[in-house]
Amino acid sequence: MTPPRERYRDQLEILQGTLDMLILQTLQWGPRHGYALSKAIRTQSGEILRVDTGSLYPALHRLERKGWVAAEWKSSEVGPRLRVYHLTRAGKKQLLSERSRWARLTEAVAGILNPQKKESES
Amino acid sequence: MRIPFRRRDRDKEINEEIQGHLTLAAREEMDAGKNRLGAEGAARRELGNEGRVRELTRDMWGWRWLENLLQDVRYGLRLLGKNPGFTAVAILTLALGIGANTAIFSLIDTVMLKMLPVQKPEELMVVGMRSPESGDNEFNNYFTNPIWEQVRDQQDIFSGIFTWGTARFDLAQGGESHNVDGLYVSGDYFNTLGVRTVAGRLFSNSDDKRGCSGSVVLSYGFWQEHFGGTQSAIGSMLNLSSHPLQVIGVAAPGFFGVDVGEKFDVAIPLCTEAIVRGKGSMLDQRSAWWLRIVGRMKPGITPQQTSAHLQVMSPQVFAPVVPQNWKPEMQKDFLRTILDSTSAGKGFSAVRHSYDQALRMLMAVVGLVLLIACANIASLMLARAATRQKEISIRLAIGASRFRLIRQLLTECVLLSFAGAVLGVLFARWGSALLVRFISTARSPVFLQFSLDARMLGFTAAVAVLTGLLFGLLPAIRATRVSLASAMKGGQQDESQGRAHIRPGRWIVAGQVALSLVLVIVAGLFLRSFNNLLTLDAGFDRSNVLMVFANAHNANASPEQRVTLWKQAIQGLQSLPGVISVSESVITPISGAGWNDAFSLQSGGGPTGRDALANINSVSPDYFGTLRSPIRAGRNFDSRDAAGAPLVGIVNETMAHRFFGNADPLGQYLRIEDMPGTTTPPIQVIGVVKDAKYRTLRETTPPTIYFPIAQLTDPHLQRMTEAPAFEIRTASQPAAVARAAEEVFTSLNKSVSMTFRTLEEQVDDSLRQDQLLATLSGFFGGLALLLAMIGLYGVLAYMVTQRRKEIGIRMALGAGKGAILRLIMRDVSILLVAGVAAGVGISMWTTQFMQKMLFELNARDAKTILLAVAVLTGVALIAGYLPARRAAGLDPNAILRDE
Repeated sequence: MTPPRERYRDQLEILQGTLDMLILQTLQWGPRHGYALSKAIRTQSGEILRVDTGSLYPALHRLERKGWVAAEWKSSEVGPRLRVYHLTRAGKKQLLSERSRWARLTEAVAGILNPQKKESES
Repeated sequence: MRIPFRRRDRDKEINEEIQGHLTLAAREEMDAGKNRLGAEGAARRELGNEGRVRELTRDMWGWRWLENLLQDVRYGLRLLGKNPGFTAVAILTLALGIGANTAIFSLIDTVMLKMLPVQKPEELMVVGMRSPESGDNEFNNYFTNPIWEQVRDQQDIFSGIFTWGTARFDLAQGGESHNVDGLYVSGDYFNTLGVRTVAGRLFSNSDDKRGCSGSVVLSYGFWQEHFGGTQSAIGSMLNLSSHPLQVIGVAAPGFFGVDVGEKFDVAIPLCTEAIVRGKGSMLDQRSAWWLRIVGRMKPGITPQQTSAHLQVMSPQVFAPVVPQNWKPEMQKDFLRTILDSTSAGKGFSAVRHSYDQALRMLMAVVGLVLLIACANIASLMLARAATRQKEISIRLAIGASRFRLIRQLLTECVLLSFAGAVLGVLFARWGSALLVRFISTARSPVFLQFSLDARMLGFTAAVAVLTGLLFGLLPAIRATRVSLASAMKGGQQDESQGRAHIRPGRWIVAGQVALSLVLVIVAGLFLRSFNNLLTLDAGFDRSNVLMVFANAHNANASPEQRVTLWKQAIQGLQSLPGVISVSESVITPISGAGWNDAFSLQSGGGPTGRDALANINSVSPDYFGTLRSPIRAGRNFDSRDAAGAPLVGIVNETMAHRFFGNADPLGQYLRIEDMPGTTTPPIQVIGVVKDAKYRTLRETTPPTIYFPIAQLTDPHLQRMTEAPAFEIRTASQPAAVARAAEEVFTSLNKSVSMTFRTLEEQVDDSLRQDQLLATLSGFFGGLALLLAMIGLYGVLAYMVTQRRKEIGIRMALGAGKGAILRLIMRDVSILLVAGVAAGVGISMWTTQFMQKMLFELNARDAKTILLAVAVLTGVALIAGYLPARRAAGLDPNAILRDE
C-alpha cells in the first residue's frame, strides 16, 4: 500500500522520458503556455495521447529548472496572465539526443515484437 | 529569511499558472456549448486534484526537504512535549555538558586563540632577544630602557614601534593604598596599535620626551568608574602615587592593552617614570629589564625579513648599552646577543602561560563529561525507541522510508541538543565569569572580556549538532531495524528480541562506567595533590598572620629616618590588642618574589655554578618567632647584630647541608661572590633555621640565608627598606587588626601608604591553579558519576520491565527472591567489571599527561585508583540494586495473568 502522494511520482517516472521529449518537440514549433501545449500534443497525436495535467506542470517546471525551457509571463485577452514556455538552446540539444534515443528504443522494441516482419521488410 | 519569501512567490506563480489553465479549458468547453458552471466543473475534473498538482509542481523546485524538515521539527516538538519528564532531564543534562564545554572553550578562546582587538593585529611583531646558539624557546622579550632607545632610533623595518612596562600606582596619598593598574608607554603606543580616543587626545611622540612633565590617558572603564565618564575629566589632575599628572584623553572602550587577561586603568608616557620613581628611575639603568617592544610591520614586509633585519642591526644596538657592572664574560655574552621577533597578534598573557595546561586538562574533562551525558541520553532514547516500536513499524509498513524515519528521529535529537545548547550558553556565561573570578587574585586580578561572538556560537552549535547525532544515531538506527511481522502482530516481542534490543544499551552503560571511572581517578589525583599542598609543612605557620606592605617612597625620609620610622611602627603594632608579635622583612614567604645571589665559603671551595645560588631575605629578630619557624641550632639575631657590627647570617637546613655537609656550620664564614674589582665582607653563620618554602609551595626547598635587616646598609640594597613588609601574628582574626595597624603608620607619617594581606591568603593565592583543578575535576567527576549511575539505573530498570515475563515464569517455577536478585546483579557485575577494567586501562594511559600538574603524587598512584574503583563500584551496586530489588519483588501471579 503506497500513499497516494507517491503514486503520482511513479506515474510521472514512467512517462517522464517520453513526456519530456513530447514537450520539447512541441515547443520547437513555437512558444506555448501549458494549456496550449497539452492541446497541441493531443491534436498532433490524433487525440490518442492525453497529457495528464497532474504530470504536465511538474514536468514543465522540472524542464525549466534544468534550463531546457524558459518561461515568461504574457498577458492574454481572456483574463489571467499566462506563463509561456519556449525552448532554450540547451533544450534543443536535449531534444536531439532524446529523439535519437527514442528512435533506437522503438527500433529495438519493434525488433522484439515483430522479428519476422522486420526481416521481410529490410 | 530569503528562501521562504521566494518560496511564497513561487507558490503564487504556480497557482496563477494553473488558474490560467483552468480558465482556458473552461472557455473551450463553453465554446463547445456547455454553460459556464458545467464548463468550469469539467475543466476542474479534467485537471484532477488541483492542490496535488500544485504541490507536485512545487516539489520540482526542491522545497521538499525544507518542508520535511519543518514537519519533522513540528512532530519532534510535539513528541518532546508529550514526555516533559524525559525532555527536561535530557535538556538539563545536555545543558550542563554543553555549557561546561562552552565555558572552558570560551576561556581558551579568549586567552589563547583570539587576536588582539586592535587594528590589523596580524601585522604586530614582538621584539625579543636570544643568544646566537639558542633556539626559539630562549626568546626573551624584556628589555632595558637604554636598549629600547637604541632599537627605536636605529630600526627602519617597522612602520611604527612602541614599548611599554606595567606598574601599579596608588591613588591614595598615604594610608591604605588604592592601587590602579598602570602602563608606562612610549609615545607611539596608541598610534601604532591604532587605538581611537573617545575624549581628549592620546599620546604622540612629543608627550614622551626626557624631562617631560607627564600626562595621563585613561582607559574607558576607569574613566567611567572614577570620573563617571564626564568630559570635565579631561584637563583635570590625577594623583598617581602622589604625583599629580594631567589627564589628556580616554582610550576607546574594549581596548585593554596588549596583555590578555590584564587591563590598564591609566597609561602615562615612559618619560614620566623619572618623576614617579624619582631616584630609583630605571630609564638609564642598563640592567633593569622591564620593557617589552612591539612593532608594526610595514606593508609587504614578511616576519622573516623583520627578524633578519633585527638580527643584522643587533651589534650596533647592544654595543652602546652594555651593563657596566656585569662580569666580563657576561658582558661578552651580552654583546653577542641577537634581536629576533615573533608574532604578537594574539598579545601577551601570563594567564595563557600559567593556565595553559590546566585549561587543556579541563577541556578534556568537560569533553568526557559531555560524552557521558550523550551516552546517558542515548540509552534513554534506546529505551524510548523500544516503546515506540509499534508506531515505527506502522509507519514503515505504510511505506515510510527507513532513511526518512531515521532523519525524523535524529531531528528530535538535534532539537533536544539545541535546547540544551541554548540553556548551556547561559550556564557558560555564568560559568566562565565564575572561572575568571576563581583564577583571579587580589594581587594579580584577571580581567577577560568574553564576547558571545560568531565563533563562540559556532562552536556551541557544532557541539550541539555533533552531540545530537552522537546520542541519536545509534538509537535511531536500532529503532528502525524492526521485523515488521513480529511488530505488527502486536503485543510484546518475544524474549530473545528483547534481550538483543537492550544489548547496545548495556555496552553504552559499560562505556559510561569506564569514562566516569577515568574522571573519578583524575579528580582523585587532583584532590590528593591539592591536599598534599595544603597539608605540606611549609616551614612556617600561615594562620593568623597579617602582613602589612608599607611604602615610604613619598615620605621624604632618609634611610636613617626610615629605620627609626619602622622601629616605631613595630613598637606601635606590638602594643595593639590581640597582637602577639611583630616582625619586619624584605621578602614575605610564597609571594612569588625573590632575591638571590651566589655564595662561596670564605675558606674557598663549596658548591659552584647554580648550586652556589641561595635565596636571601633580610629580617628583624622576631621574624622566626612570628612565623613560627624554629631555630634548630645556634642563636637568633639580636641587638648585637646592628648596622656596623660584623655581618652575620642564619642559614636554613638545606643551605647548611649544601655548603657545609655534615660539618657544623655555626661560626663558619660565607661570602657573596665577588664582583670584579671588589671584595665582599665575610658573613658569619650564627644559626640554622628550619627549612621553609620561599617562592612557591611546589618548589624543592631552596638553600636560604637570612640577614638581620638592621645590617641592610649597602647603598644599592638600601632601597628595599623603603617598602618593607611587616608580619603581625594575632591571637585571632588577623584581618581585624588592619584598621588599627593603619592608624599606627599614619600617626607616624601621613605619607606612608600600605596594603594588607594575610599570609594565609597569600599562600592560598599561590595554589589557585591546583585549587581550580581539584574543585572542577572533583565537580565534574561527581557529575560524571551521577550521570553514569542514572544511565545504569535506567537501563537496568528498563531491562527488568522487558524481562517481566521471564522473571514471572522463573518465579512460578520456584525461583526465590534471592535467585532473581542474583540474576539481575549478575548483569550489573558484568557491566561493572567490563567498565572498570576499561576505565583503569584508559586512565593508566592518560593520567601520565597530568604528572607535571601533580604535587608529590604519582599519576598512577595505586591508592587513588583503588579508592576511585571502590567509590564507583559502591555507587554502581546501589544503582543496580534498586531495579534488582524491584524485580525480586514482582508478583508472579500478576505477571502471568497479564500475559
